[in-house]
Amino acid sequence: MIRFDIPDDETLLLRDTAERFVADHYGLAQRNVMLEQPPEQVPPHWGEMAELGWLAAAVPETAGGLGLSAAQLVPMLEVLGRGLVLEPVGPVAMKCAATLARALPDAGAELEPILSGERIALVAEGAPGAPVSAVKTGGALVLSGVAPLVMAGPWAQVFWVVAELDGAPVLMRIPAEAADVTPVRLVDGQVAARVCFDGVRCAQEDVVTGCAEALAYGRDMALVGVLAEMSGLVDALHGATLDYVKLREQFGRAIGRFQVVQHRMSEMFIRREEVHSMARLAAEAMEGDDAAFRGKLVSAARVKIAKDARVVMRDAVQLHGGIGVTDELAVGHMLKRLLVLSQVEGGRASHLKRFRALIGL
Amino acid sequence: MTDLLNSPEDMAFRKEIRDFVAAELDPDTRAKVARGAPLVRDDFMMWHRSLYQKGWAAPGWPKEHGGPGWSARQRLIADEELFRLHTPPLPGFGFKMIGPILMRFGSTAQQQRFLPRILSGEDWWCQGFSETGAGSDLAALRTRAERTKGGWLISGSKTWTTYAQYANWIFCLVRTDPDVKKQEGISMMLVDMSAPGLTRRGIRLMDGTEEVNEIFLDQVFVPDDMVVGEINMGWTYAKALLEHERLGIGGIGRSKHLLERAREMARAAGCEAEPEIADALAEFEIDIMAIEATTLRLMAAAEAGVRIGAETSLLKIRGTETQQGLTELMLDIAGPSALPARDSGATEEPFENVAFQFMNWRKLSIYGGSNEIQRSILASQVLGL
Repeated sequence: MIRFDIPDDETLLLRDTAERFVADHYGLAQRNVMLEQPPEQVPPHWGEMAELGWLAAAVPETAGGLGLSAAQLVPMLEVLGRGLVLEPVGPVAMKCAATLARALPDAGAELEPILSGERIALVAEGAPGAPVSAVKTGGALVLSGVAPLVMAGPWAQVFWVVAELDGAPVLMRIPAEAADVTPVRLVDGQVAARVCFDGVRCAQEDVVTGCAEALAYGRDMALVGVLAEMSGLVDALHGATLDYVKLREQFGRAIGRFQVVQHRMSEMFIRREEVHSMARLAAEAMEGDDAAFRGKLVSAARVKIAKDARVVMRDAVQLHGGIGVTDELAVGHMLKRLLVLSQVEGGRASHLKRFRALIGL
Repeated sequence: MTDLLNSPEDMAFRKEIRDFVAAELDPDTRAKVARGAPLVRDDFMMWHRSLYQKGWAAPGWPKEHGGPGWSARQRLIADEELFRLHTPPLPGFGFKMIGPILMRFGSTAQQQRFLPRILSGEDWWCQGFSETGAGSDLAALRTRAERTKGGWLISGSKTWTTYAQYANWIFCLVRTDPDVKKQEGISMMLVDMSAPGLTRRGIRLMDGTEEVNEIFLDQVFVPDDMVVGEINMGWTYAKALLEHERLGIGGIGRSKHLLERAREMARAAGCEAEPEIADALAEFEIDIMAIEATTLRLMAAAEAGVRIGAETSLLKIRGTETQQGLTELMLDIAGPSALPARDSGATEEPFENVAFQFMNWRKLSIYGGSNEIQRSILASQVLGL
């Protein structure tokens, strides 16, 4: 049920903690140093993030987590998004942990080292239409296929591979050293990996079947995380641009005094508000048992936010003028991060297709 | 259609409204509204009477003045259901404009005299704000009121007066002090439409209807007790309207109604599965969802005590853009079937009113503060530009 309650104390505490964290660790200069590190090196704050409870937040208490709702995490994730943090909170907490908590009958033992930050585990999937597949050979299973882009892939100790076995999706637990992991630097400086599973063997006891529902839930949850980060970035771009048009003078006055600029800022404000609403709508949709309703709202939010974010990025750069296309302001870094977040977990086109199917079009 | 308000209580409330409409709404009126045909006085009045007898005529009014005592959430649901069930959308000049102004700024005598008659439909109010030289720049209005014994004499003219042909009262903004800053010399007065010196001329619109009028005032006498609040405070009272009932300004019910209509047309035209049409229909559904989600978020904030002001302008901008966009999609779907004139005898359902709707809904982005004015309001009042 959709309520849009005002944030409770736990939600605000998480958000405020994230704000302090970003202020302390993620100045643009500090971040630039981190971006220079070799791709194999895990960013330095992972342990602290685990201690703050960020990895366990969305996991049910029965599986050793904090049992918060997705909606309670949105403000925190917005802060991490606008802060351009490089640690894989989304891929680990929102995707892998959320999926495992639903897919594994007794998830607590597997999740414990993940939530405590000792082990980084990631979900790895083939490209659309080219899934990783598994065949039975003797007592074991042999995989073939490639996960072309696993966010934070070089840092994983364990991959949970989504593979097709006898025509149904299964999850297979593969130690990272068994796979062929090639680091891939992304346009925004983040690190991902191309992971090849050709010939990798997996013992029967490391296969989880009957997990289609958990996978669908995990994908939606991961997307909610992505959308929350995008919401934070859109908010930050709007704020930075608003500050700038109040300061920048041309023709003897602040450019924000010109009506054409005012109306573009109003448009950006409207889009920021829509993004904010849709990120929360998607998060609220994660509650309840109606998977079709959930999917409809999450995909709708993806479509809307991707479109709005594109306009906001474009106008943020345009209204900053020349300085907006440099690498010296946060604006460019935010634009690049938004580009990445717009393409992962299914882009605008694929979710419009899914939405259409869910409303019978 | 995706309804976000779907808790068990919401669904029970929806059912209450559906049952009432099923029992009360005249089938001919229903068909007219469903087809998007123009409505006349009787269409509105018959439905008004049904709502009045049920106690639902003025959803936004407090209980002591005869409102149903609905929450903001219930009002949104009611608005959505009443549109969906093809009930005539009642003009808001009494319920949403002068009624709330009188509750807040009117004298006890004015409240006692007028509020019950607005509720019952005995009085039909129209709005005398715009003039030929005062549209978006409303404060530039020049219709003046001069002091006379026991009251005021109004001379000037008003325009774009919706449904003045049905009205027996008009609330006017008039200039009572020409020598001060333009916003500070305006007063609000209640004028009997049958007063000597008041004449009306209908304005024929491009869609063939006569929804709006010009009003001419020549030395029209208004007694002192028909002045709202204080003299020269009219601008303040008019602006207060911006804070009343603004959460419904996104017109979610109307948008959903138009989208359902567009889908129905796409099915009838056999193009529902064509990618361009299907994508467009899906995106409009998402756009409406975004307006609804934003409305609900603002509503939750307002209920928690956050003061919501000019932010609601965004609901008006996006709501009207969506509705006008839907009329354009309907044109795309209908093709040449949209072309026969309404009275040509060659129209075919469901395309009969497509061109009419496209023309008629142009007004959405013009009235009540044009979308350009709304953007300027957002820039100045919300963004501090």
